[in-house]
Amino acid sequence: MKNLFGLLLSLVLGAFIILALNNTAAFPAFGEVDLADRVSEQYFTDGNVAEVGSANIVTAIVVGYRGFDTLGEVTVLFISALGVAIIFGEKKQERLDLKFKPNFMLRVGSRVLFGMILITSIYIIFHGHLTPGGGFPGGAIIASAVLLLYLTDDRFRSNVKGFKILEGIAGSLFVVIGLLGLVLVTSFLQNFLPAGTVGDLLSAGIIPIIYVLIGLKVGSEISGIVDNFLTEEESA
Amino acid sequence: MSAILLVAIPLLVAFLSILVKKYAPYLLIIVGLFNLVMLFLLQDGGVIIGGFDQPLGINLLLNLYSRIALILINALIVVIACLNIKDYGKYGSILLLAMAGLNGLVLTVDLFNFFVFLEISGIAAYLITSSNKKPTNTFHYLALGAVGSSLFLFGVIILYAMYGTLNYGAMIEAIAANNNYAEVVLPFTLMFIGLGVEAKLLPFNSWVKGALGHSNTMSGPMIASVYAAALSFVLGRMIDNLFLFQGTLLTIVTVLLTVGILLGDFMAFSSTKTREILLFSSVAQASIVALLFVNGVVAWAVWLIIANALSKTVMFLVINKATKEVGCDETKSLQGLFTKNILVGLAFTLATLSVMGLPLLVGFMIKLNFLTALAGAGQIWLIVAILIASLVEGIYFVRLLVKLWYKGENEISVKYNLSFKVVFVVIALALLAFGSYTAPMNQIDNSVDAVTEVVNNG
Repeated sequence: MKNLFGLLLSLVLGAFIILALNNTAAFPAFGEVDLADRVSEQYFTDGNVAEVGSANIVTAIVVGYRGFDTLGEVTVLFISALGVAIIFGEKKQERLDLKFKPNFMLRVGSRVLFGMILITSIYIIFHGHLTPGGGFPGGAIIASAVLLLYLTDDRFRSNVKGFKILEGIAGSLFVVIGLLGLVLVTSFLQNFLPAGTVGDLLSAGIIPIIYVLIGLKVGSEISGIVDNFLTEEESA
Repeated sequence: MSAILLVAIPLLVAFLSILVKKYAPYLLIIVGLFNLVMLFLLQDGGVIIGGFDQPLGINLLLNLYSRIALILINALIVVIACLNIKDYGKYGSILLLAMAGLNGLVLTVDLFNFFVFLEISGIAAYLITSSNKKPTNTFHYLALGAVGSSLFLFGVIILYAMYGTLNYGAMIEAIAANNNYAEVVLPFTLMFIGLGVEAKLLPFNSWVKGALGHSNTMSGPMIASVYAAALSFVLGRMIDNLFLFQGTLLTIVTVLLTVGILLGDFMAFSSTKTREILLFSSVAQASIVALLFVNGVVAWAVWLIIANALSKTVMFLVINKATKEVGCDETKSLQGLFTKNILVGLAFTLATLSVMGLPLLVGFMIKLNFLTALAGAGQIWLIVAILIASLVEGIYFVRLLVKLWYKGENEISVKYNLSFKVVFVVIALALLAFGSYTAPMNQIDNSVDAVTEVVNNG
């Protein structure tokens, strides 16, 4: 009965939302926005591209114009990882047993793959300001490489402490770069390096540096979460 | 110096604190004190981030309203951290993040940035309640909170699709220029519901009973005082600058809030558990605050938030400490709590009487003034509802006080540390002092948080 009521309520709410939006003149149909009267148009104009110096406009917005939001999102992941660690207990952990015995080929083969995945992630992180990608996807790829090692070797444990240190330092450096902007120029997270030529690997000022830090932080945080989920408190 | 430090420094220290976990609670206290000093030094005004002025970049705004809110939030976090340094030291990093999140929530004048801080402070709150060791209740809170913030985000997305900006000032102007309130009813409703979950408004607050009904000396005051105050402040800012409820929506919101006040007090009346009485009374108070904002009585809403936060800190600390030592929070088993703790009892009594609004205490001045303001606005029915609720409130609080003061069959002994007693006495004296010395309260008026004016004039 409760479920049925819930379903009905969701359907009514859904219908209400669709009807309300359909009858609202101010709500544009998909793809029919007139960019000329939008703030977002200013992101595309040439002057602004040179200002931030990122060839990837999405990155220019995410790390340039709205870098403070990105710092917030990094914090959201950080606190989630912290929460996972608190909930799973802070006593000494040991690996959970896998249901199968990984053989020699699997263990060695996965180590070869590990390197390749890691290199891909580095590429994605370093080119975040030029092509689609950046710190968040790159960091997630790093963590997926670590997950691969966990799943193919039942004795493998990453250096969790090292990840914690990396995570703390990368996060702090992000804030420190922001504060440098405040001290050296005028405002928090403001670019204090030359913007360079749009399209060059070394361009866009502080954006590539921030993306490297984000990549390291996201990678170590998700790897930490992977470790938390694949271990349990040591049975004394 | 810039107001951004109030967010950046707690974040920086939170990231570093996981490297030196043992010192996290001490770092928290140092950062809190630093923020308080900053709040007295900083000048009012907008803060640009990343070198991009509005509407391209994100802006923060420090005005008298946000300054009052921030002083209250940071001071209370410092006090709660000091009292719990031994028992809940490992939550130091999380409280640092909660501090950064709540400070950002109060300072930001960008709707998406607001959502980001809502997430940070929300997740911090779930983790704070996880110290209650009631995982199901925490999960319930998490599920509701996640749905709430998604609805808020959905509302923001719709507004962005309509007006193409996220900045408060630009958004308010665009809505005023469009001058068609029917179009913004949907996004405003979604955002109000989203914030209502965190601000404990009925009917979106079913998490409160689980989260606060098993709270401890850290999670109780954190959720019932600090979070409640911060969320009331930001909800008030939204209501008075952006939502400006009209027409049917105004009626619906008013009815919801009035029902919230009455139900909250009736549920407190029918409960026999001390913590539940306190939490349901908080639910009723949160609705009163929101109702005052809806009616434009901003100044007295601000004072009511402050008085409630202070009183509830004392009440939750007293009861949660006693519950921890007695092992049960039925009023029966706490009977006679104050026979041996007279000082604590007096402070608790003053805090309770202030919430009830008895003369000589600050709660009375506030209640008198906001009822007068409501009468001036012609809201007779609201006054009747609030008076009925106050009557019910009076009955259950007096009943509680009588139980706690008179000796029962079993003698219970609860020891309060000196640090607890100092906090109780200071807050009780403040409630008493501002009950008769009301000059500073008349200094702020209802336009204390006119966001557009400040944003536009730099």
